[in-house]
Amino acid sequence: MAKPRLCFTLLYADGIFYLSRNFNLQAVGNLDWVMDNYDFESIARSIDELIILNVSQLDEDWEDFCSIVSRLSENCFMPIAAGGGIRGIEQVESLFISGADKIILNSALYDAPDLIRQLVAIYGSQSVICSIDFRRLDGSIKTFKAGGKIETEVALTSAISSAVNLGVGEFYLTSIDKDGTGEGFDMPVLELAYKACSLPIIAAGGADTDDRLAEGLHSGFVSAVSTSHLFNFMGDGLKDARNGLEAEGIQMSKWNFEELVI
Amino acid sequence: MKVTIIDYGVGNLRSVQSAFRFVGAETVITDSPDEVEKADCLILPGVGAFGPAVKALTTSGLTEAMTHAVFSRGVPFLGICLGMQLLADKSMEFGEHQGLGWIPGKVLSLNDKNVRLPHIGFNSVGGIEKSSLLNHLPTAAEFYFVHSYHFIAEREQDVLAVTKYGDQFSSIINNGNIFGAQFHPEKSQSNGLQLLANFLKLGAKM
Repeated sequence: MAKPRLCFTLLYADGIFYLSRNFNLQAVGNLDWVMDNYDFESIARSIDELIILNVSQLDEDWEDFCSIVSRLSENCFMPIAAGGGIRGIEQVESLFISGADKIILNSALYDAPDLIRQLVAIYGSQSVICSIDFRRLDGSIKTFKAGGKIETEVALTSAISSAVNLGVGEFYLTSIDKDGTGEGFDMPVLELAYKACSLPIIAAGGADTDDRLAEGLHSGFVSAVSTSHLFNFMGDGLKDARNGLEAEGIQMSKWNFEELVI
Repeated sequence: MKVTIIDYGVGNLRSVQSAFRFVGAETVITDSPDEVEKADCLILPGVGAFGPAVKALTTSGLTEAMTHAVFSRGVPFLGICLGMQLLADKSMEFGEHQGLGWIPGKVLSLNDKNVRLPHIGFNSVGGIEKSSLLNHLPTAAEFYFVHSYHFIAEREQDVLAVTKYGDQFSSIINNGNIFGAQFHPEKSQSNGLQLLANFLKLGAKM
């Protein structure tokens, strides 16, 4: 069987990496800050996947985002997913050229489904991740687009089935309520999503310790868990988190750079 | 031995290049049939759908160039993911398409109903035959997969390693100087780098 995945999500806009709480962004630092505070080589060797999201609300500088993807992907020998603000095929091409292996689309599900269909036809389902942001309101689960700013009319399960019909290969589901709170993932919603489709799901929003990440994986509803907490995993924190997951009885995939014989 | 990475329009070639660089190889990315024909060692990466990929290779003259290098000159060849599937006679991905036909077999969808598709993540690759391609790696070493289709080889002897995801499928195929890996060695941390280093050593002897 495929092993569960530990992912790390970086939120980036216009030169700065952000910490997010309920989708309110707090500027943390630029690339130099990340490189100073993280042992990036160790991170890259301690996670199964890196996710880089452009959270700019402005008319973003796409070249700048691509150059960040390119810088971060140097000497990363694991998959990199990138997205946020994708509106056309040219943007996707430049992300792939910059080192992305998969792309993530969110608002396009509601605004430009044809773009998703086209991308699936060109790059294959396995390269296209659909991100869905949701929150609980008045007893139901609402989906949001544009970085959580705009509520859509589409229920979560309908959003999931539309994305499946468009041919996406994976879901990245973020609870806006839980995001950055450390309260853990929104398990009932993940269960609902699990039952609503047969695609792999990456859980996001709510986990900022290895216990919380482990809860997500123990549930069996998701194939991968992600954290975007920029402060809790500084230095070697993700290596510790991976060891923590193992200690919680989750069998993570294994490799050892020390034993490489070249 | 210089590693020539074939560029036919889609996919993340840079990650393949940086993985080969990490293990000490000189590399070049090219879409020129001329360069492919003269290469010492060929890598066919692959992301995307089978049909458009075959078309892109054929119309650009790359199919002919690769075929010449691999069969007339016997250069070591590694197809990665879709690059492995393209070696088959045919694929049923979005309609029926003819492949290169270098290793007898066909490409079908993984269809076990008990598992989620696509198959994404690290999974064990178990060698059936002892091969130096898997040197310095633990038994059932894990590599990163991301695919919905798989290669069904006609001849057992062409299957070098298998992986279980619901049903079992071929994860490495080999016939002489031609190798194919269903997983992405360039995205499989040190396990993948080891496999690429092994491939270079093997290739140097060919």
